[in-house]
Amino acid sequence: MRKKAFSVRIFKEIIRDPLSYIFCLGFPLIMLVVMTLINDSIPQETGMTIFRIDDLAGAIAVFGLTFIMLFVCLTAAKDRLGAFLVRLYATPMRSGDFIVGYTLPAFLLAALQTVITFAVSEAVSLFTKVELHLGGLALAAVSLFPTMIMFISLGLLSGTLFSEKAAPGLCSVIISLSSFLGGVWFDADRTGGVLLKISKALPFYHSVKVARLASALEFEGFGKHFLITVVWAAAFTTAAVFVFKVKMRADIK
Amino acid sequence: MFGIETRFLTKKYKDKTAVDQMNITVNEGELFALLGVNGAGKTTAIRMLTCLCRPTSGECYIMGKNCLTESNEVKKLVGISTQETAVAENLTVCENIRMFCGIYGYSQEKTVRVTDKMISLFNMEDVKDQRAGTLSGGWKRKLSITLALIGEPKVLFLDEPTLGLDVLARREMWKIVRALKGKITIILTTHYMDEAQELADRIAIMANGKVMALGTLCELESLSGEKGLENSFIRIVGGGK
Repeated sequence: MRKKAFSVRIFKEIIRDPLSYIFCLGFPLIMLVVMTLINDSIPQETGMTIFRIDDLAGAIAVFGLTFIMLFVCLTAAKDRLGAFLVRLYATPMRSGDFIVGYTLPAFLLAALQTVITFAVSEAVSLFTKVELHLGGLALAAVSLFPTMIMFISLGLLSGTLFSEKAAPGLCSVIISLSSFLGGVWFDADRTGGVLLKISKALPFYHSVKVARLASALEFEGFGKHFLITVVWAAAFTTAAVFVFKVKMRADIK
Repeated sequence: MFGIETRFLTKKYKDKTAVDQMNITVNEGELFALLGVNGAGKTTAIRMLTCLCRPTSGECYIMGKNCLTESNEVKKLVGISTQETAVAENLTVCENIRMFCGIYGYSQEKTVRVTDKMISLFNMEDVKDQRAGTLSGGWKRKLSITLALIGEPKVLFLDEPTLGLDVLARREMWKIVRALKGKITIILTTHYMDEAQELADRIAIMANGKVMALGTLCELESLSGEKGLENSFIRIVGGGK
């Protein structure tokens, strides 16, 4: 009951913020269309397919999730700044209620965002005459569940650790890093060397791989990448829960 | 059983003592005012009594429950309206009330009943569908007190509930507090002497974390040798300077 009450509040807080539509939906969809237009200008003989809708759809879905992270982070940081969270500490709310309350609505929004991104990708594919498997997109959406949890936990972690002013800055760094090292805007596999090693050591590369492989219904290497995203999601969730509990305890010392 | 009892309650932050060996008892149904200049320790005392911070030493009890060892029980007994109007800004008045009903585990039916009751009790019909962030200061305070009452507390803490309100809004707030008087134990902190004089059964005057004097208005007047609460307060806190 307490979890539901707090989840409903967080859900409403996010969907009533106009910026969430601009960043969580508008920006990724604009990038989807812009990159498709850029793809049209790339000569076929270059063999570059990174901006083709079948490659782009999954990558943009991961890119969009980084903005869900930003909004979870902002909501948690704002709550901590004001007296509202402190007031709730004096009610029967427990740390688990807060954590589920932040995570559940964000997960629903992340799933909705992914579905919309893939629906728009499907529409774009009709214009570009590049075939997109509906089954592949559905599988990609489900395969991204651990990535959704991972970004939400990262948002909660940043929002708990940093102030309302510092946290968005940190999230911007994560957004840039995840799209750059994750290979959203280029094929990370072609970079090689240290850059590729760093990409592989971080979770974002694997999330993009999972989305691309699933949407193309290619299963070679899929299991490995998926498992890595599950491990990262578990690690960030554990860290977020631990830090939130420690901070809550410190707040009432 | 006392509504509130503190025994040598102390809170220290590094080398600063925010509350120093506080010993008070507040009877059930009593309206007890805590007066003091800024930094006197009023809010820290309230934070310890509502389990929002731990005492460095000493003990405090709400309806016989220890705030330190039985905090989950204590949280079911208290309601707090903090100095800052802590409401969910993007939710409407009704949604704020419903959220708190959910936090206290009320059924759908009870939630509807409590929401209607609170809206009517606080005359909030005109603003019930308005987002809290767009309300005036007075309405926000009203909502804040409403939220503090949703858990049907036995002890209500009102931390400077009329701070920054205009004279009409203050009087409206007094009416609300008066209506609650006798039904639940209320701890009121305020900087306004007239407010304490008007509403409180007993008054404690704090300075530098210590309770300097405690009693009814008459008792404080006779203790200080001054007429009126403001003069008594100045005499007790400032030593007549």
